Amino acid sequence: MTLKKQNAVKENNKDNMAELNDLLLGSSLEENIALLRNIFTNDETLVFRRFQNRNIKAVKCCAVYFNGMIDPQIVNKDIIQPVLSSDLKDGIDIHNLPEELQYKVIASGNVNLENQLDQIVSSILYGNTLLLIENCEKALIISSNGWETRAITEPESEKVVRGPREGLTESIIMNITMIRRRIKDPDLKLKFREIGSKTHTRVCICYIENVASENILKELEKRLDQIDIDGIIDSGYIQELIRDAPFSPFETVGHTEKPDVVAAKLLEGRIAIISDCSPSVLTVPYIMIENSQSNEDYYNNFIYSSFNRFLRTISFVLAVSVPAVYLSIVTFHQEMLPTPLVLSISASKQGVPFPSFFSLLVMLLIFDLLREAATRMPTLIGQAVNIVGTLVLGQAAVEAKLVSAPVIIVTALSGILTLMNLKLIGAVIMIRFLFLILSSILGIYGYIFGVIAISLHLLSIRSFGVPYMLNVTTLKGHNWQDTFIRAPWWSMKLRPKIIGAKNLVRQRTKKTGGKKTG
Amino acid sequence: MKPFKIILLVLIIMGNLLLTGCWNYREIEKLAIVAGVAIDKGTNSRYRVTVEIVHISQGRDAKPSSRIVTMEGETMMDAVRNEISLSGERLYWSHAKVILLSQEVAREGIAKIIDWYTRDSETRTDVKILISGEKTAGEILERGKGVTEEIKSFELNSMLDNQKSLAKAPKIDLFDFLNMLESDGTSPVMPLINIRQADSKSVLEIMGTAVFRHDKLIGFLDGEETKYLLFIKNKVKAGVLSQEEPGEEGTCPVALEIFGNKTRLEPLVSDNNIEFKVNITVTTAIDEIEGSENFIEDKGRIKLEKDSEASLKAGIENLIKKVQTDFGVDIFGFGSELKNDKPKLWGKLSNNWDDRLKSLKVTVIPKIHIRNSAVLSKTIKVKD
Repeated sequence: MTLKKQNAVKENNKDNMAELNDLLLGSSLEENIALLRNIFTNDETLVFRRFQNRNIKAVKCCAVYFNGMIDPQIVNKDIIQPVLSSDLKDGIDIHNLPEELQYKVIASGNVNLENQLDQIVSSILYGNTLLLIENCEKALIISSNGWETRAITEPESEKVVRGPREGLTESIIMNITMIRRRIKDPDLKLKFREIGSKTHTRVCICYIENVASENILKELEKRLDQIDIDGIIDSGYIQELIRDAPFSPFETVGHTEKPDVVAAKLLEGRIAIISDCSPSVLTVPYIMIENSQSNEDYYNNFIYSSFNRFLRTISFVLAVSVPAVYLSIVTFHQEMLPTPLVLSISASKQGVPFPSFFSLLVMLLIFDLLREAATRMPTLIGQAVNIVGTLVLGQAAVEAKLVSAPVIIVTALSGILTLMNLKLIGAVIMIRFLFLILSSILGIYGYIFGVIAISLHLLSIRSFGVPYMLNVTTLKGHNWQDTFIRAPWWSMKLRPKIIGAKNLVRQRTKKTGGKKTG
Repeated sequence: MKPFKIILLVLIIMGNLLLTGCWNYREIEKLAIVAGVAIDKGTNSRYRVTVEIVHISQGRDAKPSSRIVTMEGETMMDAVRNEISLSGERLYWSHAKVILLSQEVAREGIAKIIDWYTRDSETRTDVKILISGEKTAGEILERGKGVTEEIKSFELNSMLDNQKSLAKAPKIDLFDFLNMLESDGTSPVMPLINIRQADSKSVLEIMGTAVFRHDKLIGFLDGEETKYLLFIKNKVKAGVLSQEEPGEEGTCPVALEIFGNKTRLEPLVSDNNIEFKVNITVTTAIDEIEGSENFIEDKGRIKLEKDSEASLKAGIENLIKKVQTDFGVDIFGFGSELKNDKPKLWGKLSNNWDDRLKSLKVTVIPKIHIRNSAVLSKTIKVKD
């Protein structure tokens, strides 16, 4: 390698790894070291550890790795020590030395020979150890990555009473492990790719062959190929870059932090996208009804689960409607209330100076302020926020006659209902304000306009070709089994249509355990 | 060009919504909620309208009280809108419960009065309509005192709702009245309201029926007669049948609680002669025996059934006779029954139905069934 070439590398490595494409290693150890030093200038975490074999002094090596990205145990015990102390034959040929080391000396699990500079650089960056050998044009790449990862904990956002507590972590390999432990089948396919010109984030498309739809897989791969971005910090980036209906407040790509949820979705024919350094795994296609499904539904008694799911579904409708309907009724349609209710609402509003619309809008904003404040707040300060929220804003505001008690009740109700469907929270907040404004102008009439608009929107969007409202707008029994209710497992013989159409039958259980009696 | 178009579109939508929207916008606490209305003849103008407005005061334990406002006008609408010049409030009618009419107004015909109430979009036809037994209708709201509720109209409303377990006054909603008024072969009736002095308090009492020819008041029935009227109209759902039975120690009053009643009017047509059969089947239970007679065993019970059937029959026949001779209007609905049953015949008879009614032969066939004797199976035996 000439100096000119080296200079070229030095100038360009900041901008593009692709410049390294056709460069090869030289045979001089020191030259190779200098080459790497040039590539990684101003990076003192790169370690060059020179050593030689005890017996044959000609075997000079240099281990190159990033401090912190490797497991020192592997580097010391499985790479350096064996090379140092191995009894290599005297008449060792320099040409087969790398193979000799690869097959007979190094004890690490994965060893490759490589002479392409770009491959070498990227594998060092992944935490592999590079073993350069004097007078050899090939280097050994030894897998040695090991870094501190977060322990497997229960995700805060998806707590369960019954079911696996395991949560996905930031390590892609651990996440795949957790999924594979649940689906032990050669049909579980994992396709890796790299996204991000700077972050080189490893992204894995995970699906079950013969179950997942090929068209959806093809479409997903096409969309992932189109991504050209400098970095993927969390799977949220991918979620927004590949989604359908980009302006919709409703998510058309699902995400979860639970491996059991991923496994269940894979079994239904969905495709998962696991992204390194992100505990959220994306699943496509994602339909409306998944927003109100919880993994616990499938583990608990089906009657109880159906009830819970019904509550979640209805709470979405109520969360967006309660403030708007209340406002319409008290400002436009007082005849719709029973007389005693009119009198009590009227009594509680006597002396309140602000119009109903204004006080509802302000109270809903305050609720969202409190929610947002409490989310980012350390737990201890969070309690203070609670006290301020309940006492100062709730009770004191009513007693000072700044807002009426029903407004507080409506706000609190709507707030709690919003929290029932955490996955829909963004959509609920936006739609709630939209409905509120519409009904402040036109009463129930305006509210109905809003409902029609949202229904049309929901019915028109798709996720990877699958209608977003799939199975909600149908009357056939089988399609209802996993929507507003959760049918008993022994009756759910088929996968959801369209998504799992390639291989519809999922269960051939002939009989349930005991007799079907009352 | 494109951002300009979007801005224009937003402006058009906002303009449309904001300029045309908010129609009929009123805050709930600003409403003057009308609870009831009384209509009299005015002194200077044609109508004198007294409304009871619910007054809601501030404060935690504030109870709604009522406020009476009287205004006059040439038409109903005029009178009602004149309230604005008295207190600045526009009345809100959707929650009104009762309309009280004075006899004076009712004798002149009430179709013209209730037209506004039926036509206006804010008023409702499920309001209950009554005739005042006092000199004016307004004094019921002014002088009367509620026993359980502060607001008299609401008390009248619940009194009428509970009439179904008393059956001494008909419960007539405005739309019921309109149906009776507009249908062939039924003359309308209305409940009657009075003020009764009890312990120096003027309490309200709903008892009896006002009888109408077309839309004009012609007379009254008392509480007992009303019960028999309701029997014929198949409107008795509960109530009491009192029966005096001869016993060892003088008379022995027995009260039968009515659990259900089914009345069927049956026109019998032969040649040119029309008769009506009134089949009444009452299910009752003995609820009170003021004596030691045995009405529980078969012998006593059958006698009791027979005797009460006889007195029911007599009461109903007397009522029919009274209505035929005194009023000559078909408040029982024989005509509409005939119309449903034999429409062709009705076509020929409808012109002089009122004349025919006066001599219509009606046979009452009551059947009283005593189901049980409540929770006691014996009479109370008084011993030394």
